[in-house]
Amino acid sequence: MPSLRELQLRFAAALVAPASTEGAALDDERMAIYRTNGRATYRHALGATFAVVKRLTGAPFFNAAVDTFVAAHPPFSGDLNVYGEHFADFVERYAPAANLPYLADVARLEWAIDEASRAADATRVPDAALAALAIVPPERVPHVRIALDVSCRLVESAYPILRIWRANQDDRSGDERIDLEEGGILLIVRRDTDGMAIEALRRGEYAWLAALAQAATLHAAIDAALAADPAFDLGAVLRTHIGAGTIAAIFDQ
Amino acid sequence: MFGSLNLPIAAGVGLRAPHVREVLATRPALPWFEVHSENYFADGGPALAALQRIRADYPLSLHGVGMSLGSSDPIDRDHIGKLKRLIARVEPAQVSEHLCWSSVGGRNFNDLLPLPYNDEALAHVCGRVARVQDLLGREIAFENVSAYVAFPDATMTESEFVASVARRTGCKLLLDVNNVYVNAVNHGFDADAYIAAIPPDAVAEYHLAGFDAGDLCLIDTHGAPISGDVWALFARTVRRIGPRPTLIEWDTDIPAFSVLKGEARTAQRILGTIDAIAA
Repeated sequence: MPSLRELQLRFAAALVAPASTEGAALDDERMAIYRTNGRATYRHALGATFAVVKRLTGAPFFNAAVDTFVAAHPPFSGDLNVYGEHFADFVERYAPAANLPYLADVARLEWAIDEASRAADATRVPDAALAALAIVPPERVPHVRIALDVSCRLVESAYPILRIWRANQDDRSGDERIDLEEGGILLIVRRDTDGMAIEALRRGEYAWLAALAQAATLHAAIDAALAADPAFDLGAVLRTHIGAGTIAAIFDQ
Repeated sequence: MFGSLNLPIAAGVGLRAPHVREVLATRPALPWFEVHSENYFADGGPALAALQRIRADYPLSLHGVGMSLGSSDPIDRDHIGKLKRLIARVEPAQVSEHLCWSSVGGRNFNDLLPLPYNDEALAHVCGRVARVQDLLGREIAFENVSAYVAFPDATMTESEFVASVARRTGCKLLLDVNNVYVNAVNHGFDADAYIAAIPPDAVAEYHLAGFDAGDLCLIDTHGAPISGDVWALFARTVRRIGPRPTLIEWDTDIPAFSVLKGEARTAQRILGTIDAIAA
């Protein structure tokens, strides 16, 4: 009698491709029910996470994309929340979506929102962050590091993806005209006391936060910000992002 | 907040995302809720916060769909860790999983796949249950699954296999009456004989759900009202085994919450225990 492992491996092969069921002596017509259920599971799970991508492309197109994605990136976890991390990169290379150049960035935004919605809860204490900065000796200030709230995600696109995302929420008709030529956008996604905040950032501000997210020192982050925007105003962004809770902690080490 | 006590012997409802807001706003007169553990595998955020608010007012059961208990792959410690953190956070009255497998060779199918009913699989899954309980530091209950295929080399019936897991591990069984009915039709066995083979003391909970009739067999979609045949089997099961905490599950084409409450009222009448559900 075949071992449990052999039986499971044969069953698994029959879930992926119909032709291989002979050795498993499993009823292939009935194995097809599992194959159908499996496709529905991933279409449903990714359809919930990437609801705007699905709405933009329509369900038949989206479902076909998901089927191809699952074949290329087989799921590895019993936790479906973490499945979808590579979907945006897949969409970018997915030939049938080539005429929707903004689609991959919309998927990146939706994944950022999904991740941010599951991130650890933080107690936002703007006063503590300010107090931490106040006690840093002046000569050390350029060397401090600034930790962003764990829910923060930065998303950059050459297309107006925030306008596209908003126009395709459930309560909107989705037939609003959006001019792709209006240009790109730099976004921060983070959790707010009321749910999720998605906000547009200025060029220098985005470069500064992106550098901090990579654990750059304040000095290096300012250099990056000034390179992106010579009018970068450190005082203004510090006030904004300490107040908004983007900045979780400031430490001198 | 309720302590980590037993679930009430009454009919509760499986809580799914589309109904969370309504439940928080209206606090319906239901005796308990069950959720899929994996839906709350998060470090924080609004969904988890909502669950904790519901947990403050209702006994809660965590029902896993992703542990792959019967897999021949190593136990996924990461998955167990996420479950353990969720247990610590919501202090559920009960934790359950499925007597099935979902993954092999590292690939996960995110489905509840049947085990071959033989001695090797029995020994394997009993050992896994024990290890999972050690890792979690608590007991888990296990559920019989629906199946569309059966392994040709089985050396025991499904009910013998299920009863043996309960006896060997001492774990409680979450008896899904719909799954018994679906499998009885799909594999041509007597559902009442299956129920008769289950040690009554081992049963901790019942599940009820709806199936769809496919061309080849019954499909356990959890997407339809509970069928008349399943209600009748449930009534015979309650007479034989006794009343237990009972759950209405609906996972696809999820209807208005009032529909689930209606199904729970029917289950409650059959249980004949406390009149826990207001009209």
